[in-house]
Amino acid sequence: MKRLTRREMLRLTAGGVAAWTLRGADWAWAAPAGADPYGAARIDWRQLAGERIHILVTPAHYFNKFRAITPEFTRLTGIEVTFEVIPPREMREKAVLDLGSRTGNYASHTADPMYLPLYAVNNWVEPLDLFLDDHRLTDRAWFNLEDIVPLWRRHNTVRGRLWGMPVEGEVTIHIYRRDVYEQLGLKPPETLEELRETARRAHNPARNLYGLALRGFRGAGQNMYIWPSLFRAYGGQWFDHAGRPTVNSEAGVRALEFYVSVLREFAPKGVENWNWPEIMEAFAAGTVAQYVDANSTASVIENPAKSRVSGKVGYQRWPKGPTGKRVTSIWNWAMPVNAALPTRKKQATWLYIQWLASRPTQLRSATFKEAPDAVVRTGVNRISIWQDPGYRSVIAFTRDYADVVLTSLREDTDADWRPRIPEWPDIGEVMAIAIQEALVGRKTPKQALDDANAELRRILRR
Amino acid sequence: MNRPPGPYRLPRGGSALAARAIGAAPVAARRRFRLDREARFGLLLVAPSLLILLLVSTAPLFVLVGASLFHIELTRPWVGGFTGLGNYAAMLGDARFWHSLQITGVYTLTTVVLQVVLGLAFALALVDVRTGQGLLRVAVLLPMILTPVVVGLVWRTLLLTPRYGLLDYLAIATGLGSHSWLGDSTLALASVILMHTWQWTPFVFLVFSASLAALPVEPYEAALVDGASSWQRFRHLTLPLLRPALITVLVVRLIIALRAFDAIYAATGGGPGTATEILNLYAYRVAFNSLNLGYGAALSTALLLLTLGATLAFGRLRSAVEATP
Repeated sequence: MKRLTRREMLRLTAGGVAAWTLRGADWAWAAPAGADPYGAARIDWRQLAGERIHILVTPAHYFNKFRAITPEFTRLTGIEVTFEVIPPREMREKAVLDLGSRTGNYASHTADPMYLPLYAVNNWVEPLDLFLDDHRLTDRAWFNLEDIVPLWRRHNTVRGRLWGMPVEGEVTIHIYRRDVYEQLGLKPPETLEELRETARRAHNPARNLYGLALRGFRGAGQNMYIWPSLFRAYGGQWFDHAGRPTVNSEAGVRALEFYVSVLREFAPKGVENWNWPEIMEAFAAGTVAQYVDANSTASVIENPAKSRVSGKVGYQRWPKGPTGKRVTSIWNWAMPVNAALPTRKKQATWLYIQWLASRPTQLRSATFKEAPDAVVRTGVNRISIWQDPGYRSVIAFTRDYADVVLTSLREDTDADWRPRIPEWPDIGEVMAIAIQEALVGRKTPKQALDDANAELRRILRR
Repeated sequence: MNRPPGPYRLPRGGSALAARAIGAAPVAARRRFRLDREARFGLLLVAPSLLILLLVSTAPLFVLVGASLFHIELTRPWVGGFTGLGNYAAMLGDARFWHSLQITGVYTLTTVVLQVVLGLAFALALVDVRTGQGLLRVAVLLPMILTPVVVGLVWRTLLLTPRYGLLDYLAIATGLGSHSWLGDSTLALASVILMHTWQWTPFVFLVFSASLAALPVEPYEAALVDGASSWQRFRHLTLPLLRPALITVLVVRLIIALRAFDAIYAATGGGPGTATEILNLYAYRVAFNSLNLGYGAALSTALLLLTLGATLAFGRLRSAVEATP
């Protein structure tokens, strides 16, 4: 029965490949013939057969893919998995309430890594080494934790322990219109000042082309996802040696001045309410010359059915700040194990997380077509997949797209790019308001950051 | 103006009074017994729903007020315990609270006044339109039927988007120029007020239309005979006659405006900065974003008291109005 299932799976994958319009023919590497990728793990996958777990996820395309192939997990293990799907903001609230009240409704959920310090300090979730080090539950050699993008693992590590497993992630990169650059004789900017210059040159509202867009909408995961890269690239530090917040340092003020001035001069009106979907759509419609945002937007702007600019796009790492550093944002969806569950359910949840984060599942889900207009995953969690020629050919939007992403992931940031402390939800909110107030001109950058810093001191009692 | 008292205006205990008047005490006693049994049966019938109501609406209210007396901060689980009125004291020094209170005040007052004035004006203008009344009412009802979240999103994307939104297009066409309606502090507040007015003026219109249609004709005939101008008829007849409806509308609108949330949440999220952050939204952010549950509960309780106070004040006003002949 298992055999048949695998054949079905292969057929399904093959169908998906045939339907994949870009570079389907290269897809020979997905499932090596003959080998059972899960059978190779030296654990008893069926040890918890009959358990049921309930998981909270967002409606993003990668989770749609994961959900679509989860019946395969149930066939493998006999564990039933049900899902609740709600948008990120509401999902986070539900998860926190469930964890905080210890009701154990959700065995796992798609956690924001920035919340893991909060989870850890409350003991709401289990450290994953409990399961990783249990040889009955995990075949470490087969699972190969070290293959999972190190930066994402570090991001999910608090006090030396891993609290959430990265299953999908992204970095921010500079995305620009190659055709516009060529027309104007521009070179891809090396520094933030050069970025400003290219925005100035490309800016042509009369022809409905704006120079640059960045996230302007207020929120810890919106404007406070982009601005910290500028802050760090200008040399800003969140805290001084005594642990006091220092966001209103000279570097901070200059970083905010840069952000405010480029957006006010070269971004479309209303950018203060734009999050990544608005930016991506404007770029796909051809009205924005460039933006810096998640690499995952590529799979939409390169889809000819959804974008007017597919094939005309260039990708590169973040331009350097005055300190000579490039700083990218990092993000991954981390899956924790709810500490309020009974032991067997925790173990069943771990089996699911292990299955989801494993190389075979990551590989297969990457191009799985859960819907006719499905896009390819650009956030697989394993270095070995990023280096795999088969996968690289599928995401070869440009010759160097995969390398830009990989290099950014390896070199352009560190885990403490934003302050990873339990108070983050509060801090993120205060900073997001300050950035937006500066952007709309309610306060000067200096004023906004002075006020924010005072507020942070109050929050941290420092 | 004396209206004939309707059956609902009978003083309480009216039936007992009547029973005593006919001097049949044993009958009255039997009847009361029967009534009591009936009442008990009735109580039994409504008990399940009453219980559920208590559980889902009243009990959480007490939990909320209770929580507002504690220090509950999920981001720092090590601090905690009973603080009494500590959260309320913290409110006094919280600039963002005062700001949100101010925004709530501006938002509530302007929306209520705008809606009452516009609703009344439309009702008066259309009271004599005979053909197409049904169609008109359906058209007018439409905004009210929409979920506030949908209203917020529709306004944000289809109407107010710079360059592409319908309203911005009109602004450009009329020479006002393109604006970032939800991106400028003042314009954003004006925009959410406009949104709320657009959605709820129909309600006021409907109430006033119904009241106007039910007004007696005689006083107007008398006024015409006396040669009253249309302004005099409005000022001295229509307005006083509409007063009970006016008070009801004010109370209902006030409550809805004070607890507004969804449309603003969807349209601006309280921004830019905190320019449209009404008290309700601030309480939500404190509780569910900053995870400071105790303080969030205190803010919600403050809003509750505010709403309760406003409602009671209007209730007083209403009884005062009804007491005067």
